[in-house]
Amino acid sequence: MRLINESGLWTTGAAPAPIPAVAVLEVSGAVLSWPVDEPSRSPVMSFTDAARADWMWRILGETGHVAVIEALRDADPARMIELPSVSVLPGSADSLRRLALGHWLRRWWPASRRDGITVLDRGVLDAEVAVLTAAAEDYFTDDTLDADVAGLLAPRGVALASRRDPRVEVLVAQCRDLADEMGLEWAAQDVGVARREDYALAAGRADGSPSPGAIATGEVTIAWSVVPPGVFDAAERNLDWAVVSEGAAVTARLRAAVSGPDSAAGIPVSLRCGPFHAVGVLDATGGAALPVLDADGQPVDEARAWDADWSATEISVGAGGAAESGELRDRVRAFARARLAAPTADAFLAELLAAESDY
Amino acid sequence: MSIGSATSEGAVRVQSAVPRRAVIDRAWRAIGSGVEVLSADDGGPLRRTVKRILDPLVLRLRSNTSYSAPVLAPEVAAAMHTLIVGHGPQLRATADWFVMLKAERRRQRLTTGNAQELYFPVCFELAVTKGVPQKEDQHTATEVLHDLHRGRDRTAIEVLNRHVEDPAVVARLASLRDRSWRDVRPDGNITGPFFTGLVTVLGAAVSHREVTARQRVWTALIADATPYNLGASAHGAATVPWSIVEIGLSSVEPQRPPAIDGDAGGDRPMDRSVVDRVRATLRRALDRDELPDVPLLCAEEVDRACAPWGLMGEDKQAALVAGVEMATDLRPLGDSVSTRYELSGRVQARLVKEAYVMHARRYLAAGGAIHPRQRQVVDELAAFARPYLSRLWARLHGRDVWQESCGDVDDLRSLLEGAARSVSLDHRQRIKAMLELRAAG
Repeated sequence: MRLINESGLWTTGAAPAPIPAVAVLEVSGAVLSWPVDEPSRSPVMSFTDAARADWMWRILGETGHVAVIEALRDADPARMIELPSVSVLPGSADSLRRLALGHWLRRWWPASRRDGITVLDRGVLDAEVAVLTAAAEDYFTDDTLDADVAGLLAPRGVALASRRDPRVEVLVAQCRDLADEMGLEWAAQDVGVARREDYALAAGRADGSPSPGAIATGEVTIAWSVVPPGVFDAAERNLDWAVVSEGAAVTARLRAAVSGPDSAAGIPVSLRCGPFHAVGVLDATGGAALPVLDADGQPVDEARAWDADWSATEISVGAGGAAESGELRDRVRAFARARLAAPTADAFLAELLAAESDY
Repeated sequence: MSIGSATSEGAVRVQSAVPRRAVIDRAWRAIGSGVEVLSADDGGPLRRTVKRILDPLVLRLRSNTSYSAPVLAPEVAAAMHTLIVGHGPQLRATADWFVMLKAERRRQRLTTGNAQELYFPVCFELAVTKGVPQKEDQHTATEVLHDLHRGRDRTAIEVLNRHVEDPAVVARLASLRDRSWRDVRPDGNITGPFFTGLVTVLGAAVSHREVTARQRVWTALIADATPYNLGASAHGAATVPWSIVEIGLSSVEPQRPPAIDGDAGGDRPMDRSVVDRVRATLRRALDRDELPDVPLLCAEEVDRACAPWGLMGEDKQAALVAGVEMATDLRPLGDSVSTRYELSGRVQARLVKEAYVMHARRYLAAGGAIHPRQRQVVDELAAFARPYLSRLWARLHGRDVWQESCGDVDDLRSLLEGAARSVSLDHRQRIKAMLELRAAG
């Protein structure tokens, strides 16, 4: 093992993959990360406070733990530290990686009707992550973002019971015990119906047919890392736009392919082309109709709109700013497809259920 | 001592240092059966067994500080092992009490509070005082749960409420306040040396000599009048290096004398009424053996609320000023922030990493909110000094009330770091909740 000081923190290496292809886990005193699609790799460990990482001996061995602590005690950040005899014991971090993967699945699973990547059942996934978290409590001496079992159980006690699947029943029983111990109100209820609703919204997605009489149209991809999960269909080119003339006014019509279960309402969206711009928010179905304005904030009339070259039109959805590349999204989709096609030993029940429902 | 004996002693201690938690784990397993309800599936102690029983009650970390190091010298590890194993009978009885309390919890259909968190310490106490629970101890279990769930704090708060219902009491406290407030005045001494000293206190210390020097400087800073003067200046028009409104300690400048009760006109630490502060003390007093005398607490709190920074101890005042200096360095959502102290640099690096985790989890976009609904909480996190100093102040206030010292420089530094950790976690959880809100609806 080798330790370098990166931006003030001691770490065993650089980030193993860019967002969103990285699965992270925040444990007591450290952040662990893995490339999501390379399960055999050892975690990169970034110490936020090595002295509080009281679990290190479990994956580095006792001498490894002591060696890291001793090496980092007042170490010079400009120097690299080599600890040739210290390494992650084979298999020791598997349960942690699986937990990181579970969190990743909750947030980045590229569910898409267009791409045929089945949505994962949130209730089942959250329940399983909650149970894994409780079992990994030795790594959460300090509460961290990922120690929050209650948060995983709380909103979705509603969603599990009547699946009539023995595997789900086992999970429900585990969650009930957990909730009981923690003093949480948690009662599993029917979910079969709610799940179909997950898809219901998806049916309302854009079909790509250009608006009649459109001055300009196009389609773009909403980057994943600038919008919350559970809203948009994760396929490429999942937003259609058109600049249309409606009476005296020129309007930008945008429609995103939504997948649900969460609403697109309130997510910022804008269209810009040279001096022309239209800014607003999406409605619950992923649509928006916004007046196109010029540099002075005045409405653009039809003649000027026809004269303009719209080929440089830029659409921004969500938080904007830096986003992942299309290649990365493809890499993640390939990973998801592979998991659905041939479930691995570390598959989550929600993945198995999704794979089974694909038939 | 002969050379020979030293060598043989060395030969016995071939074993090297051991991670603390590994020592606990081994000792726990050595206890054997009878403690299953306090153990995890793998046979080690539960996290809360360590946190609520072993650390505070068996190892007594507060007084045995050598037991709290991350790695332990062999002889310390051996002593710790012996101590834990030696408590085997009490720990087995603790487990039996826990089983009894859990059965009683089910019988009374109690669902609030984490059973382990709430019951573990009391079970150990019962194990020590009463041994193994007998059938006839059932009523004890009933009483204990009643106490824990009805809340002793609520009883004390009722005493407080009755106390301040009496207008004469409030009038007396108000005149006490007026006098105390007048008495607190700055003496106009220079503040430079204090801030120079802080560079050492919040700086790195590698060698033993530097570690000793850091402690010496902190001891000197506690004796320095600067924190007192700055806090007193905030009462009036005199200048303070920071705006107490901007750093979130007060909602007005200059700071107002504290209200006794009722609407204090703000929600920042220095705005809080005396009764509100006492109420907070009572709430935190749950773990204390005896409830404090409410009238005395109120009178004391008037003095404290009028003291510079609302804190009586010079060590607490100095700690708060050190905290202000830290806080103004921290920006969790800023990427390349230059910090002035080693400690704030370390905390800042940690905060940035924590923000990265939020981004990697799609709870934040790069550098900001991922949904407009989060904006307010994100803005609060970005203005880190405000929530940080509120948290730090509350902790210092608690220490001030219970007269727990901040004189140890390492303790001070971990207090400053701990407040940052808990504020960051809190805020990140709220940012997360703002996103997940809709899922529940």
